[in-house]
Amino acid sequence: MPREKFEHDLHRLQDEILELGAMAERAISESVQTLKNKDIVHAQSIIDADRHINEKRYAIENEALTLIATQQPMAGDLRTLAAILEIASELERMADYAKGIANIAVMIGPEGLIKPLVDVPRMAVKACDMLHRSLEAFLRQDVDAARAIPKEDVEVDALYEKIYRELITYIIADPKAIDQATRLTWVAHNLERVADRVGNICERIVFSITGHGEELDTPPALGSDPSGRR
Amino acid sequence: MGGIVVRDLSLRYGTRLALQGVSMDIEERQITALIGPSGCGKSTFLRCINRMNDTIPGARAQGTVRLDGFDVYAPGTDVVKLRMRVGMVFQRPNPFPQSIMDNVAFGPRVLATHRGGSLADVVEKSLRSADLWDEVKDSLKQDALALSLGQQQRLCIARVLAVSPEVILMDEPCSALDPIATLRIEELMRVLTQKYTIMIVTHNMQQAARVSDRTGFFWLNEQRAGILAEFGATEQIFTSPRDRRTEDYITGRRFG
Repeated sequence: MPREKFEHDLHRLQDEILELGAMAERAISESVQTLKNKDIVHAQSIIDADRHINEKRYAIENEALTLIATQQPMAGDLRTLAAILEIASELERMADYAKGIANIAVMIGPEGLIKPLVDVPRMAVKACDMLHRSLEAFLRQDVDAARAIPKEDVEVDALYEKIYRELITYIIADPKAIDQATRLTWVAHNLERVADRVGNICERIVFSITGHGEELDTPPALGSDPSGRR
Repeated sequence: MGGIVVRDLSLRYGTRLALQGVSMDIEERQITALIGPSGCGKSTFLRCINRMNDTIPGARAQGTVRLDGFDVYAPGTDVVKLRMRVGMVFQRPNPFPQSIMDNVAFGPRVLATHRGGSLADVVEKSLRSADLWDEVKDSLKQDALALSLGQQQRLCIARVLAVSPEVILMDEPCSALDPIATLRIEELMRVLTQKYTIMIVTHNMQQAARVSDRTGFFWLNEQRAGILAEFGATEQIFTSPRDRRTEDYITGRRFG
């Protein structure tokens, strides 16, 4: 006998995670576009809209806690709810990175970019694609996909590495570039962290399906956060 | 004291196989919870430990149950002595229609086990251990049936403790009690594990999750006989059960 109300509420929460994921994905992708297109107005709207993402995250958290308190889920259901809590917080932090990128777009303002942005949008596309597929894996309870996606982090790390080295050469060539080059490094760093957090999401998915925690880490990239923070 | 080793235990009621091939190691001074749908042999299994099933005509057990190495089903076992070592608390509190004092003193009087101290001392000690003394110390001569249900159940626990058992079997001990009385029994169970081994049958999964150290999940096989489908640490059973049937049962996907 299925527990209809519980199943219904759990599915709704899963849908809301997908919505939050879509909001975060859009914020990341559009923040990089505003930087590239020097669209300060849109960048500001991304900064302002971050509030809605935070609200959504807390709404999901509230509903998940209510479901735990009122329905006393066990085993796989309990693990799924724990994953939902964790994933909601990861998505909210990812959106914060997007807000950070939009802030940089506003800070750089209308001044010309020291270099055309090619690899940064590539990083954003890759990170968003990983994010999108990780949430699909969550929805489909696809443990193989969840295990595979974090391996792709090496591509994002490699792009980050490349951007970092390239920006260093701009700084060496022209000290006036220091300010913007530093800000662009932050942008790349934020995108690199988005991909790392996709890895965290995938770990939660694997745990919610199998009941076993697995470290789905990839070797840290050169120049990445030396504290090893994830 | 109070460790139980069960090997390949089956039980028939006449021709009907009620329990099939259960093997289980019950750790001493721990709480072991038995969960599963109605009619899957949990209570039958519990009643095998102190041979309460012997009182049912046609009931026949096979396999071994060892209490600290002592073979419970060996020929010539004194079941009265066995039931002193393995006490039982039932679903409905069942105090005798006597005073509080006489209820607790009943076992020591009949079995003459209080030689070491006075009967009054045994009664007080048992009532204290059952977390009831402060509520009844001024009314020991009062009829036990005048107590609240929660108090009656703690009195029944005191009655079991009065004969110094090693193991306490509890068959849905809180199903007639309100949530406050239930929590008091659960707290009491935790304290009692300092000295006693406890086995509890419960339909309340949250209760099993709250109070027990290990949980056994009983299920029916194709022959409609009760089997032990999974047995493990309570935290593992309720967060990551290994058996699909356990998962379906505790998440309420079947027989919810």
